[in-house]
Amino acid sequence: MAKYGMVVDLNRCTGCMTCVIACKEENLTRPGVSWNKVLEVENESLERIIYFRYACMHCDDPPCEKACPNGAIQKRKDGIVLVDKDKCRGAHTCIAACPYGVISINPDKEYFPGQDVPLQARAESNRVHPTGKASMCTLCAHRIDEGKEPACVVACPSQAMTFVDLDDPQNLMLNKIPKPKALLASEGTNPKVRYIISNDLFKDVERKISKEPDAHP
Amino acid sequence: MEKEEQVVHARLAAGQGKGMESGYTFCDGCNQTPFCGIRFEKKGSDITRVEPWPDFPASPPCSKAYATLQRLYHPNRLKYPMKRTRPKGSTDPGYVRISWNEAYDMITSHLNRIKETYGPHAVFFYVGDPKEPRAAVQRLAATFGSVNYGCESSTACRRAAMLAELLTYGFPTMGNLPTEETKVTLIWGTNPAYSGQPFMCHAQLLEAKERGVKFIVVDPRLTPTAQTLAHIHLQPRPATTAALAAGIMHVIFKEDLHDKKFCRDWIHGIDELKDYVREFPPEKVEKITWVPADKIIEAARLYATNGPGGMKTGAQGTTHDSNATNNHRAILLIPAICGYLDVPGGVLKPTNPLVEMAGPWADGPPAFSMRNKMNQMKEHRLDIEAFPVWAEKMWEVQTNYLVEWIKEGKIKGLLGWGLNTMIWPQSHEYQQAIGGLEFAMAVDYFYRPWTHDYVDLVLPAAMNYERKAPFAFFERQIFGRSPIAPLGECKEDWKIALDIGVRLGYKDLFFDGDVEAACNEILGLWKITYDDLRKNQERGIGIPAKGPELFKKHETGDIRPDKKPGFMTPSGKIEAVSTTLKEYGYPALPEYKEPMQTTTEYPLILISGSRIPFITHSKWREDAPWLLELQREPLLTINPKDAVERKIQESDEIILKTAWGQMQVKAKPTIMVPRGVVGIMHGWAKANVNELIPRQFDPISGFPVFKEVVCQVSKI
Repeated sequence: MAKYGMVVDLNRCTGCMTCVIACKEENLTRPGVSWNKVLEVENESLERIIYFRYACMHCDDPPCEKACPNGAIQKRKDGIVLVDKDKCRGAHTCIAACPYGVISINPDKEYFPGQDVPLQARAESNRVHPTGKASMCTLCAHRIDEGKEPACVVACPSQAMTFVDLDDPQNLMLNKIPKPKALLASEGTNPKVRYIISNDLFKDVERKISKEPDAHP
Repeated sequence: MEKEEQVVHARLAAGQGKGMESGYTFCDGCNQTPFCGIRFEKKGSDITRVEPWPDFPASPPCSKAYATLQRLYHPNRLKYPMKRTRPKGSTDPGYVRISWNEAYDMITSHLNRIKETYGPHAVFFYVGDPKEPRAAVQRLAATFGSVNYGCESSTACRRAAMLAELLTYGFPTMGNLPTEETKVTLIWGTNPAYSGQPFMCHAQLLEAKERGVKFIVVDPRLTPTAQTLAHIHLQPRPATTAALAAGIMHVIFKEDLHDKKFCRDWIHGIDELKDYVREFPPEKVEKITWVPADKIIEAARLYATNGPGGMKTGAQGTTHDSNATNNHRAILLIPAICGYLDVPGGVLKPTNPLVEMAGPWADGPPAFSMRNKMNQMKEHRLDIEAFPVWAEKMWEVQTNYLVEWIKEGKIKGLLGWGLNTMIWPQSHEYQQAIGGLEFAMAVDYFYRPWTHDYVDLVLPAAMNYERKAPFAFFERQIFGRSPIAPLGECKEDWKIALDIGVRLGYKDLFFDGDVEAACNEILGLWKITYDDLRKNQERGIGIPAKGPELFKKHETGDIRPDKKPGFMTPSGKIEAVSTTLKEYGYPALPEYKEPMQTTTEYPLILISGSRIPFITHSKWREDAPWLLELQREPLLTINPKDAVERKIQESDEIILKTAWGQMQVKAKPTIMVPRGVVGIMHGWAKANVNELIPRQFDPISGFPVFKEVVCQVSKI
C-alpha cells in the first residue's frame, strides 16, 4: 500500500500563492479558510526570504486523530488523513492537538451570501463544507482516487511541489541529499510532507510556526 | 479496503466526472494577450472547475487564472449597458440600465456629431486592460478616421522598452529563455517568478540553473527571482540603470573581454561608446548606483567570459523614470559588445515569426488593424510634437498628455475599453479631463468608480470564458477557445467594436457584427478558419515555418527585407549612437542622467509598479474575493533598518509623502527592499500611489517616473 505525501522544494518556491488559490478553487473552502498556507520568513543576516508553503502534513502518527472525541479523523490506508464531515461535531480538540496550526473550523460565511452562484450550487459533496465542522487539506484525496495529483501540486508554476509515495524506495525526491526534512520532527508526528531547505532557514521557519502557527493567510 | 474507508472514498468521488464537458480559454489576469491556458469543466452552461490546459504553450497558470472562475460568477458584475442620468460632476452619476440599441445610438450620434463639428481626430480610442480588443478597436478608429488611438502599453507599460530596442537593435526583444548553448543570462529589472514573458517561465529558468547556466540578476529588490536564480545579484539605486550598464561595459572594454570583431563590424558608434563608458570606472559607479565596485567587476567578468550569454528584460521595470529610453538602451548594449546577438544561446531575432502579424499579437495583423491607413493620417497625431521619435516608431499615440489635449479642445470624445484613470500620474487630473469631454464611453467587467464616475456610458464586457476573440498564437502555433454564452447582456469586446462599426455604416468592414467572421478574416492569412481551430482545440494548429531557425542572419542578409546584411536600423548596425535620436536632437548615446535627488525632507526613493503575484494593476481586489483575502490593503514595504529608525513596526499605520501628495497606508518592514528604498503596489483606489507621482516624463518615450520619486515615510 502506498503512503502518500509531498516534497516541497523551498529553493524553488516564490510565494506566488497559486497553490493557495488553486486549492480554494478545487475545494471551494469557506471564506477565511485556507487549507494551503504560505508563511513569509526572513533571515536578515543570510539575506533570504523564505516562502514556506504548508498544510495538513498527513502525519503517520496524527495527533488530531487521537484527540478527536468523536472518531471523526481517520488515516486511510494510503496515509491520507481525513475529517469525516458526518462524524465531526466541532469539538475543536483537533485544532489544539495539531502542532502545525493547519486545521480550521468552517465559519458561517459565504463569499456571495444570498446569491445564486452556479459554482457553489453545483458543487460536489467534497466541495461542501458544513458550518462549525473541522476543515483541513485532504491531499485532494478525491483527485488521487481518480489517478490525479493534488490540485496545488499540478498548479505550482515553479514546480516546487512533488507528490510522492513515501513507501517508494526509488523516489528521486525522497532520496535527495540532504534528505527532505520533516517540520517539527520532535513532535513525533511523522509528517508525510517533507521540505528541501537549509538547516538555518528551517530553524527560522520552525520558530515562526511554533509561535504563530496560522499566521498567513 | 475497510468499510468506513470505502465510504470516505465514495463520498469524495461523488459527483466527479459525471455529465462533465470540457472547454478551453485563456486567462486575462495579467493583461497579456494571450496569456496562460485554462481548461474548464462545465455542467450544462455552468463552469464548475478550472485547471491548466495541458498542451498549451503558456501553462500552468497562476493564482489569477483560478480566480477568474470566482470573478465570472461575481454578483457585482456589470450585466447591462448603463448611462448616466445626472450631469458630470454630480456625486452620484445616477446610472440607469438601458438597452444595447439605445447605447449604440448614443455612441454613433455622438461620434458623428463630433466628427462633423471638430473632425474625426477629436475622438480618442483607447484600449487598457485587457489588451484583447486592440485589433478590433484600431480597425474601428481607422475606419472612423481617427489616428488618435492609444493603449496602456503606450502610456506606461511595454512600449518605452520596445522603443529602446527598435532604436538600438532594430527589432523588439525582451530577451530569450536560456537554451542548451547559453552559459550565462542577464536578468535586468524584471521578476519572472511573478510576471512577464514568456509567461510563467520561472520553472524553465530554474531548470537552466540546474544544468549550469549562471544568472546575474539586476534589481533593487530582493525578489524571488534574485533569491532563486542569482549567482550575482546587483541592487542598484532606482533609475541609475545607464550608469550601472556603463560601469559593466567599462570593465568589459578595459579588460579586453568584448567581441572585437562584432564591435568593429556591427556596432554603430562603438568608439563614442567606449569613450563614454571610460568615464564610468567601477568606484565611481558604486557612488552613483550603490552597487559595490567589486560586484560590478565580478558581474562584468562572469557575463563577458561565459559566452554565449542571454538576456531577459522586463516590460517596464527599467523604463519608469525620466531617462527611460536611454537607460534601457544602455542595458541592450551589454550583450551587443559581448557579441551575443543573433547567435545560438544569445539574444535572438526570430527567423520565422508569423510575418503577417508583424508585431505583438495583441495589436493584430497590420492589415486587419489598418495600420497603413493610420500611417497615412500620421500628421494628425496629437503626440507628434511632444514625442517625435516615439511617433515615428510607434503606431499608438503616447497618452500622457491627454489632460492638455482635452483642455486645448483637441479631444472631444473618448471610447475606452478597459479604461482606468489610475494608470496615469496625478490621476485626478485625468479624471477631471475625461469628465469634461462631450462624450466618453467605457467597456468593463465591473463598475469602477475612479473611472466610470467620469464617463457617460458604461458597457458590460463578457469575460474570458465568454469570449471567442481574439484567438491565440505562440510563435507559429494558433489556438481557439470554446466559450459559454455570456451572462446577462454582456458582449465581448470585439463584438462591441464590430457593432459600433456596423452602426457607423460599415457593415461589410465590420463583418455585420460577427466576431467569428472577423477572426476568420485574420485566420485566412494562413488559410484556416475558427472551425479548424475548434477541430484542433487542445493542440492548436501549427503554421509550418519556411525553414530552420537561422543564426548570424545579420551577416547573411536574412534580417532585413532588402536582403542586405545588417540590422533593421538606419545605419544597418546595432546603434550605440542612435541615428534617429541624433536627428531629433536627443542624447544619441545611452547617457546617464542623474535622477531626482533625495533631500533631508525626502530621504527615500519610492518604487511603485512592482507586481504582487496575485494582483495586476487595479484588478483582482473586489473582483475575486479569494485573492482579496491574500491582501486587503496596500502595504508599504520598507527595509527593517529604515523602519527601526522611524520606530515603525509591522502593520503600523504610516504616512507616505512626496512633494506631490501623501497617503496613509500600513507598513511592512522587509528585506525585500534595500535601505533607502520603499515600495508600494499601485492601483488601490483608496490609496492610489500615482497621486504622489508628478506628471514628469521621459522626454523620448513620454513615460512617467513611477520608480524615481523621492519620499518620506513617518509613523502616525
